[in-house]
Amino acid sequence: MSMLPYAVAAWLFGIGLYGIATSRNFIHLVGCLGVCQSATYVLLLGLGYRWGSIAPIFYDHPPGTPAVDPVMQALVLTDIVVGATLTALLLVLTIQAYKRGGSLDPEKLRPMRAGGKSGRDPGPSRVSDAERSVS
Amino acid sequence: MSPRARIALLVLAGLVLLPGTGAVIAGLPPFGSTIAQYGERINAITPQVRHVANMVSAINFDLRGLDTLGEEFMLLAAITGTVVLLRGRRGEGNTERAMRRPGRAVIPRSDTVVLVCRIAGPLTALFGLYVVLHATVTPGGGFQGGVILASATLLIYLGEGYAGWRDTVRSHWLDAMEGGGALLFTLCGLAPMLTGAAFMQNVLPLGTFRDVFSGGLMLVENLGVALAVTGGFTQLFLEFMEETRAADEPDEPGEESA
Repeated sequence: MSMLPYAVAAWLFGIGLYGIATSRNFIHLVGCLGVCQSATYVLLLGLGYRWGSIAPIFYDHPPGTPAVDPVMQALVLTDIVVGATLTALLLVLTIQAYKRGGSLDPEKLRPMRAGGKSGRDPGPSRVSDAERSVS
Repeated sequence: MSPRARIALLVLAGLVLLPGTGAVIAGLPPFGSTIAQYGERINAITPQVRHVANMVSAINFDLRGLDTLGEEFMLLAAITGTVVLLRGRRGEGNTERAMRRPGRAVIPRSDTVVLVCRIAGPLTALFGLYVVLHATVTPGGGFQGGVILASATLLIYLGEGYAGWRDTVRSHWLDAMEGGGALLFTLCGLAPMLTGAAFMQNVLPLGTFRDVFSGGLMLVENLGVALAVTGGFTQLFLEFMEETRAADEPDEPGEESA
């Protein structure tokens, strides 16, 4: 029982990694990365927990009451905020990849070439998009 | 690489890492028995020396303030990157008006939605402000409160429609809030150095324990973080929303009526 939170963290990380490795869609991939990241929340909060302790806020309880580890909670807070903005950044990159390549499938991602022509044959609107951005 | 080979590689890597991971997990202290000494000392000392009740805020804004400064700039960089990538093709010229995609139907809102949003919006904003201002006393702080404040602006969108939301939320103000918040945090670090103290040393009066005005410099830093997070997240919402409206054809910006 004492290993359960760590096992949950390992399982979350593993299943997220499996999702990333087998992903056929960028949005699904970003979601899987979020699952991997939630493993770090579970691990950090599990490390900082102690039975019978209060939250590290000494408003209702006098200072000196046994409290859980505040460092881990601060780390998780940081983790969540940075994770949220990075998810936004990755989703924007997804949008850009879709605009350039016309596909959300990581398998079909090709290097970008000069002139905005990707290796695949893009639809007519994609071509005009690319040309406009170059000019 | 074929999907099958990739799975095989993943399984192989997992098998290689398994013994080490197992050893680390077995070496961790049993769940719930003890916490790290550092956290223990912070819990014991900080209420007396900083007059702060919320240990998490004390760590974020004072004890490890330098780390939060780094995080603040990571936030700034990620949001700047997002905005630059999204705005790239649209250009900055169109950001002042609500774009409208020609041919998209404008769905009217029911009165119930408008009413609920008009009631819940200000209440959410008030709650966000409360969470921001009581950072050093009760659970909360600039990061959490900033996100709540940014969500409150989304209720305006839900209730008043896109054009109404864009009238309330100005893109340039958001830029200023985001950058200004990060600047304020940096200045909080540099200003104590003018008095001969160390970087980000808490030189302001510490105030009363369990009072809103406690923690000295932490309050200013918290305000900077709240500004940056509110501005940054609202800017993200705005740019993503604008992206759904960018026309593939040459833009015909117009006002939305709903």
